[in-house]
Amino acid sequence: MSNRLNREIETPAEKQNRHKAMEAITVLNTLKESFKEPPKAMGYFYDLFEEVYCHQKALHSDKVKVGTMCIQIPSEIIYALDGVPIRLCNGFYTDDEIGSDLLPQKSCPLVKASVGHLASKNITDRPDMIYSPTTCDQKTKAGSTIEGFGYDVVDVDFPRTKESEISREFFRRSIRGFSADLSAKTGKKLSRKKLRASISKIGYAQSLYHQLSELRKSSAVPILGNDMFLVTNAFFFDRIDSWIEATEALVEELEQRAKEKVHAAGRVSPRIVYTGSPPIFPNYKIPLIIEESDAIIVADETCSSNRMFNDRVAVDEWFVNDMIDSLADKYLKACTCPVFTKNDDRIRRIIELVKSHNADGVIYQAFAGCTVYELEQRSVLEAMEKEGISILYIESDYSPSQHGQLSTRVEAFVESLKIKNRKRR
Amino acid sequence: MNYFAGIDIGSTAIKITIIDENRALVGQRISGSGSMFYKYAHQTLDDLLRELKIAKEEIVYTVATGYGRKLFKEADENISEITANAIGAVAAAREFGEIKTIINIGGQDSKAISLDDTGNVVNFAMNDRCAAGTGKFLDACAMNLEIGVEELGERHFHAIGTPLSINSTCAVFAESEIIGLLGNNHNVEDIVCGVHYSIAKRIVKLVKRVGIREGIYFDGGPALNGGLVNAIENELGKKIFIPEHPQITTSYGAAILGADSFDYQKMNG
Repeated sequence: MSNRLNREIETPAEKQNRHKAMEAITVLNTLKESFKEPPKAMGYFYDLFEEVYCHQKALHSDKVKVGTMCIQIPSEIIYALDGVPIRLCNGFYTDDEIGSDLLPQKSCPLVKASVGHLASKNITDRPDMIYSPTTCDQKTKAGSTIEGFGYDVVDVDFPRTKESEISREFFRRSIRGFSADLSAKTGKKLSRKKLRASISKIGYAQSLYHQLSELRKSSAVPILGNDMFLVTNAFFFDRIDSWIEATEALVEELEQRAKEKVHAAGRVSPRIVYTGSPPIFPNYKIPLIIEESDAIIVADETCSSNRMFNDRVAVDEWFVNDMIDSLADKYLKACTCPVFTKNDDRIRRIIELVKSHNADGVIYQAFAGCTVYELEQRSVLEAMEKEGISILYIESDYSPSQHGQLSTRVEAFVESLKIKNRKRR
Repeated sequence: MNYFAGIDIGSTAIKITIIDENRALVGQRISGSGSMFYKYAHQTLDDLLRELKIAKEEIVYTVATGYGRKLFKEADENISEITANAIGAVAAAREFGEIKTIINIGGQDSKAISLDDTGNVVNFAMNDRCAAGTGKFLDACAMNLEIGVEELGERHFHAIGTPLSINSTCAVFAESEIIGLLGNNHNVEDIVCGVHYSIAKRIVKLVKRVGIREGIYFDGGPALNGGLVNAIENELGKKIFIPEHPQITTSYGAAILGADSFDYQKMNG
């Protein structure tokens, strides 16, 4: 139709890929260019995200890909059945915009983006089936929309309380059901040996995270919070052995950095504990603003990072059924998600992280439409106030255009922490 | 011979088109609006008539359009640039086919116009409060990148990596984003490509407000920029038609309306 150019027009899939590549490369370039020299071992993670999101590299062509809508599905069981877990929580504004046509405008951007991503015909490592824990209402309800795209979506019942014996038994049965269902679909039998091995492997991955977390407690923090988010987000989809190898290299390098007192931030940069709706690549909008404002994220209480690695599985008897029950207990009891009716555990953990990592303040982000985090901010703010911990609450979404307004708020908070610290000295 | 003049006094340029009784294009001229719209509009008209060897008396009907239309007091009629643009686009694209959607990027605004099957305007959306996504923005980007604005189109096609996002919705913030990208040694071509895509995305949002209908026409000075055309086509997922003289569509439409008004008045006394 054009009389000027004989160039081919992008297909909708190509356009979506380009949009996502543009989002991804912006964040990766910022991480590489806007801060002090990143650890060399981060190169693996930068390249991984670029390959997957800019060049659509598939990582699991030869495997059964098990999509999970939330952190509450035990990946140990998936690995033991020779599958690979792929967490479908999505951070792309491109996908959020697609999802906005399928879900109510006021829905949570993470849910809209996850649905938008699955709506497209253009998915590398497309999940062969999807397990959706009935955690938050929006994800639970999104399942039927996703089914409409031709996916096999299985609900995994999740209780809304975690203290009672009823809820414990309820979730154990739920995970047994999940395990049996996946076993039937993959045609594999869940063996004692394989489950034990995968619990051990994930446990080792967790121990690597703990080593990294430990290094962030010192006065010279060897890694940015944003780089840490990249490492933990990679766990969503990377080949586990490659992830372990790359993280081992990172631990080694950071230990060296710690010895040399290399600090990823400035000399007076306030230390922040980050909590709330999860930062999922490439939506590092608020975390990047924080660290661009001369603060450093030393720890987080989110389901895309700390919560994935924090607690280990405690097994009494190494029989299949006992291991499944132990996994269910770990995934329920250790969870501090605000979907629970009472969530004192989350407050306890935030305070614990502030103390253990010697943080100067907390930044709490809730996505506009992420009701449970919005609802819980009052109790968290009150608890922090009682403890004398400075906290900033920010509501945001995936749109990349609010940078100016948001950074003004964050900068002001960071400055107030600096002044407080100066007075203390 | 009777002639008709369409004068489009825009924020950045004055465009004048002369047509004859058969609605055929006789001549056109573009000059900068400068600081004295009225004076420059007359000067441009005089120069054009001299060039075409047409006496002033032979211009039997003049229609003014654009932001400065009310300043041209000698005009027989004033019409909004929306109407003029629609008339001009339908006429300019006659041999190509039906026009249903018009995208116009001007010096300081951008518009999306939706037409019905008979070429009447049924809906339009404008971004007239902000320089982002306009010709001014392209000028500023070219200046920051130290290249001519006419080079932008060519450079776009030499981008090697992923186009770099320019996310700010404000032209001022966007400029500082560009400076930041340059400071980080990103190559000019990838930035140019990103600039074009950032404008294209805004334009597509504007077009969506009026509804995207096949038969898309793109005019205004920035339509000469092949890179921007490519970005808009990719964002829309549809081919768009670019007229031979994209800057004069609106003044051409004004001239056609002048000829129609003249004929109507002659018939109806």
